[in-house]
Amino acid sequence: MNLVWKLLRRHISLPQLAGFFFANLLGMLIVLLSLQFYKDVKPIFSEEDGFIRPDYLILSKRISALNTIGLGSVSTFSEREMNELASQPFAKRVGAFTASQYKVSCSMGINGVAQFGTEMFFESVPDAFVDIDLQKWHFSEEDEVVPIILPKTYLAIYNFGFAQSQHLPKISEGVAGMVEMTVSMRGNGLNEYIKGRVIGFSTRLNTILVPESFIKWSNERYAPEAETEPSRIILEVNNPADAAIVNYINERGYELEDDKLDAGRVTFFLRLTSAIVMGIGLLISLLSFYILMLSIYLLVEKNSDKMRTLLLIGYSPARVALPYQLLTIGINAAVLVLAIIALVILRSLYMKQLWSVFPKMSDGSILPAILLGIGLFIIVSIANCIVVRRRINRIWNNKD
Amino acid sequence: MNSISLDNTLPNVFLGRTDIESQIWRQQVSFERGKTYLIEAQSGTGKSSLCSFIIGYRKDFDGRILFDGKDSSRYGVSDWIELRQKHISLLFQELRLFPELTAMENVEIKNSLTHHKQRKEIERWFEALGIAEKTDAPVRLMSFGQQQRVAMIRALVQPFDFLLADEPISHLDDVNSKAMADIMTEEAKRQGAGIIITSIGKHMDLPYDKMYSL
Repeated sequence: MNLVWKLLRRHISLPQLAGFFFANLLGMLIVLLSLQFYKDVKPIFSEEDGFIRPDYLILSKRISALNTIGLGSVSTFSEREMNELASQPFAKRVGAFTASQYKVSCSMGINGVAQFGTEMFFESVPDAFVDIDLQKWHFSEEDEVVPIILPKTYLAIYNFGFAQSQHLPKISEGVAGMVEMTVSMRGNGLNEYIKGRVIGFSTRLNTILVPESFIKWSNERYAPEAETEPSRIILEVNNPADAAIVNYINERGYELEDDKLDAGRVTFFLRLTSAIVMGIGLLISLLSFYILMLSIYLLVEKNSDKMRTLLLIGYSPARVALPYQLLTIGINAAVLVLAIIALVILRSLYMKQLWSVFPKMSDGSILPAILLGIGLFIIVSIANCIVVRRRINRIWNNKD
Repeated sequence: MNSISLDNTLPNVFLGRTDIESQIWRQQVSFERGKTYLIEAQSGTGKSSLCSFIIGYRKDFDGRILFDGKDSSRYGVSDWIELRQKHISLLFQELRLFPELTAMENVEIKNSLTHHKQRKEIERWFEALGIAEKTDAPVRLMSFGQQQRVAMIRALVQPFDFLLADEPISHLDDVNSKAMADIMTEEAKRQGAGIIITSIGKHMDLPYDKMYSL
């Protein structure tokens, strides 16, 4: 084998092999990186809301300019409307949003230092609609702390707007529990304080949610006379994709709060972009494969006399092909290893960035990318081996 | 393998010709194992073609070539590889040595395939043929006569039933021709093999069983 290699390594063009090596490395890296990036980023957009299940729909009435000046149709749901909705075949359960009827303001802080305060309001939905451990989602008169779920946008507003400009620490979802809220409630001649504890952030609810028991208690205490109809209702359906739902909603002039669609769009574009980038990577890999094929054609051309003699003195075509096949497999394996190392390094760089923005993001795995790399390695190596063998067979058959 | 038979064989290039007078082409010829044959030929009568047909390098002939009665046209790649490794050894007229390898390496590249001879034995042949000091010299720096001897040694480092030597001594003096003939017949005898030698004039002095004119 050594002597055969000594013979056949002549005329191997290092620049050509280096060209193939780097082109293949680049192509492989782009393919692996695009898959890995897609896998890493996708969960951010398709993350399910931990508090409200996706088959719950939130309905409100359309607000027009007339509503604003007090002339339009009523923007709240009457009991008759809710009963009618509940009787629809697609509806499983209907619940109303109940709003606080007194003045609420709260100040937030971290580690005992108040950061900002604001007027606000509370809302609740029936506990059955909140997908959370009821031990945590509970309030009784004796409690000194009320659990609160905030919209995720609040966190973003704080982190990227407020904290940034005020040089305050950013808050991740994981440390939301550290946020101290002091809630002041005024009404019915009372002005009392209670502590609030943020237990999570919801992407689906554009409201400040507290347990139903708290709203009931506080409305009775601070605004006993007030009696209002809900402006928003939550609806559990059998099948969110049912066309009858959309028809009914349009007919009645209701509005569906649907942020799921946006996430879907973003995921679609992410997939499209990743696919395009991966396509470019595959194209580069394909071109690098052509470079190698041309290089091997030239090599076999230049060494064809020696190969013919080897065959004539009893070497089999498989044995004559072996050195070049091992050479290409070796190069491909080196490309695979380097591509995976580069992938790990590049990934650690962008993951750092992602973690600073989405701290809850899971670590993920690079196994799919490695498997894809191994798959590419096998396909390219087999193709290389077949090409080499076919050239040798042409020599055997005296066609060259 | 005990016999090589030519059944009405003719190179395709001669197909249209009617003036062929040959004891080989278009004849029934059988070479037997253990016997020695000489094929004398004029230049251009298809001597090297015959060797190429027999080892399966070329197939552009009419008629049949049979090994132990088996038609060579039915031979597949693995059959030919086995034939070249174990049954028929050819000393090429154009030698087909690898110029970038040394004399010894040219022999070793074959011996490493067949594992037929010990290094000592090969060295003894180098000595007997008067090229011992050239063992490690690159073949491209050797004269054609010296190369002819290296090629002969390479042809001998394998098991064979027939040794096909295409003009083996065209560039050798009488002393070296004699030495080569001795080594060749000794090895063939040891293996019980047949020898087929072609020549266009000067030929080895051997006790031929049969001589043909091509």
